[in-house]
Amino acid sequence: MDDLHMDALVIGGGIAGMQSALDLGDQGFQVALVERDPSIGGRMITLSKVFPTLDCCSCITTPKMSAVAHHPNIHLYTYCEIQSVQEHGAGFDVSILQKPRYVDISKCTGCRECEYECPITVPSPFDRNLGAYRAIRVPFSTAVPQKAVLDPEYCLWCGKCEQKCPVEAIDFSQQPETFTIEADSIIMATGFDLTPVSTKKEYGAGKLHNVIDPLMMERFLAPTGPYGRVLRPGDGKEPGSIAYVQCAGSRDETLGITYCSRVCCMYAIKQAMLLNGALPMADITIYYMDIRTFGKGYEQFYQNAKAMGVNFVRGKVASIREDADQNPILKVEMTDTGEIVEQTFDLVVLSQGIVPASHPTVSLPLGSDGFISVPAPDSAPCVTGRPGIFVTGTAAGPMDIVDSIVSASAAAAEASAYIRENGSRLEVEKEALYA
Amino acid sequence: MSQSQQPKILILGTLSGGYAGADSTGQSHLDYPPNTYILPVMSPVMFPPEFYLRAFEHGMDGIIVMYSGTDSPYKVEADGTAKLINRAYQLMKERGMDIRRLRLAAICTVCVKPFLKEVNQMNDLLEGIGFVKDEIAAHASAIVTQEAAHG
Amino acid sequence: MPENQQPRIGVYICHCGGNISGAVQCESVAKALKGLPNVTITRTDESMCSDAGQSLIEKDIQELGINRVVVGACAPMLHEQTFRGAVTRAGLNPFLYHHVGLREQDSWVHGHDKTAATDKALRLMSAGVAKARLLQPLDPIRLGAEKHALVIGGGVAGLRAALDIARQGLRVTLIEKSPFLGGRMAQLETVFPTEEEARALLHDLIQKVTAHPNVTIFMGAEVMGVSGYVGNFTIQVKQHSRGVSDDNAEALMSACTQEVPDPFNYGLTKRKVIYRPYEGCYSSTPAVDWDHYDGRPFDVNGWPIELKDEPKSFELNVGAVVVATGFDPYTPPQGEYGFGELPQVVTLPQLIRHLALSKDGKSLQWNGRAVRDVALIHCVGSRQVDGVHQPQEDGQVNNYCSRVCCTASLHMTADLHKRYPELNIYDLHQDIRTYGRGHEEYYRHALEDGVRFLRYNGEEVPEVSPAPQGDSHPVLVKVKDMLTYGEEIEIPVDLVVLAVGFMPRDLHGLDKMLKISRGNDRFLLEVHPKLRPVETAVKGVILAGSAQGPMNIQESLSAASAAAAKVASLLGRGKVELPPFVAAVDVEKCNGTGACVEACVYEGAIALQTFNENGEEVKRAVITPANCVGCGACVAVCPNNAVNVQGWTLAQYEAMVEAIGMDLPAMTEVTA
Repeated sequence: MDDLHMDALVIGGGIAGMQSALDLGDQGFQVALVERDPSIGGRMITLSKVFPTLDCCSCITTPKMSAVAHHPNIHLYTYCEIQSVQEHGAGFDVSILQKPRYVDISKCTGCRECEYECPITVPSPFDRNLGAYRAIRVPFSTAVPQKAVLDPEYCLWCGKCEQKCPVEAIDFSQQPETFTIEADSIIMATGFDLTPVSTKKEYGAGKLHNVIDPLMMERFLAPTGPYGRVLRPGDGKEPGSIAYVQCAGSRDETLGITYCSRVCCMYAIKQAMLLNGALPMADITIYYMDIRTFGKGYEQFYQNAKAMGVNFVRGKVASIREDADQNPILKVEMTDTGEIVEQTFDLVVLSQGIVPASHPTVSLPLGSDGFISVPAPDSAPCVTGRPGIFVTGTAAGPMDIVDSIVSASAAAAEASAYIRENGSRLEVEKEALYA
Repeated sequence: MSQSQQPKILILGTLSGGYAGADSTGQSHLDYPPNTYILPVMSPVMFPPEFYLRAFEHGMDGIIVMYSGTDSPYKVEADGTAKLINRAYQLMKERGMDIRRLRLAAICTVCVKPFLKEVNQMNDLLEGIGFVKDEIAAHASAIVTQEAAHG
Repeated sequence: MPENQQPRIGVYICHCGGNISGAVQCESVAKALKGLPNVTITRTDESMCSDAGQSLIEKDIQELGINRVVVGACAPMLHEQTFRGAVTRAGLNPFLYHHVGLREQDSWVHGHDKTAATDKALRLMSAGVAKARLLQPLDPIRLGAEKHALVIGGGVAGLRAALDIARQGLRVTLIEKSPFLGGRMAQLETVFPTEEEARALLHDLIQKVTAHPNVTIFMGAEVMGVSGYVGNFTIQVKQHSRGVSDDNAEALMSACTQEVPDPFNYGLTKRKVIYRPYEGCYSSTPAVDWDHYDGRPFDVNGWPIELKDEPKSFELNVGAVVVATGFDPYTPPQGEYGFGELPQVVTLPQLIRHLALSKDGKSLQWNGRAVRDVALIHCVGSRQVDGVHQPQEDGQVNNYCSRVCCTASLHMTADLHKRYPELNIYDLHQDIRTYGRGHEEYYRHALEDGVRFLRYNGEEVPEVSPAPQGDSHPVLVKVKDMLTYGEEIEIPVDLVVLAVGFMPRDLHGLDKMLKISRGNDRFLLEVHPKLRPVETAVKGVILAGSAQGPMNIQESLSAASAAAAKVASLLGRGKVELPPFVAAVDVEKCNGTGACVEACVYEGAIALQTFNENGEEVKRAVITPANCVGCGACVAVCPNNAVNVQGWTLAQYEAMVEAIGMDLPAMTEVTA
């Protein structure tokens, strides 16, 4: 591939990265959007509905994905890893690895014939491994780009897809390729992972059958989810009682994660409300220390959930074990009475928090919490410790979608000012930006 | 039950008022009678009085004009619409129609409660007074009877 | 031109990921619509707004020759633009598209009766098809846009927005109502979580703004009127006199004897009516407080000098307006937690000022006494409950969380503990909401510092009363503490601090002038919290900071920069496009009665002109689109229906109403 020059390079195609790219593109800047996965959309596209409006999540995300894909100034690089970032004048040389899809995306039409033909079933990370898809597939129904990708880890190289493909897009000979983009500025929109609970022995260390993470519940509740309904992963039964354990992996010194993850209260309340609709007979209990519904319209959302009959119980969940029928049993220290009680549920959701996603190879100072450091949050909330590199969304700490989107536009404003003030484009070209 | 057996309520909702208010009601997931058909309008000041008569003839049993009133982005909407509706009332009276079938209400973008109140009130009214086609027919036959008596 | 051919209508119904299909039998509706005249294809999809859904439409336009498109989906507010975009990409005029709201106005409100919801969807869609048959291609109105923005408000959000707009190469005018810049942030001493000095940060920002060549600032100025539209707003501004100049300021200030409660210190101190709010303020020239100056002359070296406000009025032409008008701290009504009745009850902002004014000493002094015990009550004026709290003037309670006060309170307890380690601090809260990066540390430190936390329920708020005569402390705070299992606890204290929340501001008509609305919480309302979080429903009017809702400094800065990004996208190219929904005259039908001209209240929107028709002089109505707002007042009065609002014609409405009233043959089958 040729060397390319861009005004800005955005790392991460989740909601924050997409919004930054759109804001820069709308101003006439040339933007490269680099995404590690085969599709943009990030975490947000896997969610069911979003708080506090209860809009269907894909209704908010897919139009932005579509706008990115169709934008004349945005250049999309999916299934790519950042290899290195070197200063080059006021800008950067970014070395990027294109992972092989084993599908020629210039030919693939997204018809999914390969997928229907593929004999290998593999767990689908899009569905938090609850569902399955094929070793070759379009990643999910609303993926952008709508192009197939082959997973070499599972593929038997049987060649059935190659024979079936009507446009001869399958290419087993593809190799990883490295190319370089020269960019005047970089926006880090690398997102988050859930706090790992494998070290949290008190909560079963991830081994209990009917204790799930909140993103699994999102998939259960999503209309495009693996089962189209809510069930216990242990035995497929419909749960009659569900508990949420708040601050599971946040504000927890034993895990070394002392900060609040900001989103868990609201997503738990939202899921409780959606469960109330999906399983009207189910009892839903949320165990919490503090309910932090601080955003616009959030407190009212919380009060609505209470009015709907969701049980909010102040208590610290000390431990979780399971009985012979794999029912999780919570041991709870009740704040309001001081008692220690044991309560059995059909299904438990650990309201896990947010940790930084594994970073690409961009060397940046980090805060003590592991997120990208923002040295002056009260004067420049998107500026990192390395000039020309900006940060947005959960890469800069836990944040909900609304705050991420605002932060993404702010990062775009910072980056565009930087490009104008330091960028390598000729003056004439800069004038032409606004012509 | 099929809605063809229900009285129909036409709602003309302004984009900056009633239509947005109906969207707000939807966002709150609050139920109201389904025999309601909302059409977005820039401003109801565009409808001549005869428009309402023709709507009744097409089987709309009640019409609520949900405008933005004095909050309208259009200066002429508040007074202008009221004048047009008053003229429509005249025409309705002349045709023996119950003028309560046509209502003008100011509904804002977040007026969820007032929206529901208007819809429920009109629905209750129509359950009481029935279909507009029966009213029109009754009036027509009354005229025929009258003319026969005079003839 | 495909649009001039016979209508070939494509109809698409979105499941909206179960949101619509949960109540509406989308497939049945699609099937029933297939039989309608001019309907070439009907389809349903899980998510029409997705790339795949949009591609379906594009493909049908290209392959099936579809030339009118109807989509039934969520509210048009959300996705009408999305689908107009898809239609355009496929080469069709964007206004040959019609959007039907099936979610907010059907499935979400009639979920209990799926048959009725389906019947309603069918009638609404059939009305959409009826309108689509009559759609005509339209062209947007293209206008030049001023590459100049107005920022209203000179607090941290307004300053940041102005700076960022200027940095995008656009001109900015910032107006601030008070004679000084800085807003609420100037009243703070340090900021969390960095503990930097608030005014030092602020002055760094002010310095950048004032030094930027693209920025013009008017202090003591307010908006008196707004006209125009995106790209071309005309703003009437009134600027009050400063009253003094650098030459005579010091002499006048020393001659001034009239004093008023100082709002900078929330009334804790007094200041003269010629004043600087604080040392180092911007501008450094003092100003006269015209609202309070009694008009009496000042005696300067034996000369009586009388000062007069001689306001200047002028106009600004701007392409966009950023509203950064900020918030007010909640002022408790007389008697709420003893406020205004007991001298020992203060608000948190007042205490911040009091500490700033206090000299370092062994103990905190208040009301002439050393403070040994202090109670801090959270959620004053926030998270209020109907029936428990006294409503505001408009009858509403503040049921929102003010977001900032928890961390601000614990930021205060940290400061108190540092300065007065002997002080006993009681923190009365419902939930501690230290959500931000570096905020939870304040909570942890407070626990380590020995701050005693008590938790009350929102329905049973603490009581503050004077202590009985002879008690060791002047005030008694009673609280039912949930952390000690609902025990009634009485705390004797010397000082009660109320962590007051954010109040939406009275904008003295500015919101009406700009035609922007407020939400249920009475803060200014964005279009959609995720799709367009800083834009208002009025194109070109953008929000920044706490005018939109409670926000801390960091969040206000982000919102302000985001607003700047939107302004840059809007005005950067120097031109904007307006929707074509304006009146248009059918000259064939017009016979020049002039009723339309009489009905129109917009200057220069419609006029009669004389034409020569077959050698005869005739009068015909002519529209000037840039001046027409599309209200349609002319439509209602035209005896010949010769004038219509493009895209919203009377004939289209009649067709829609007829369609709603019609029982489709397939309908009985569908809804039986």
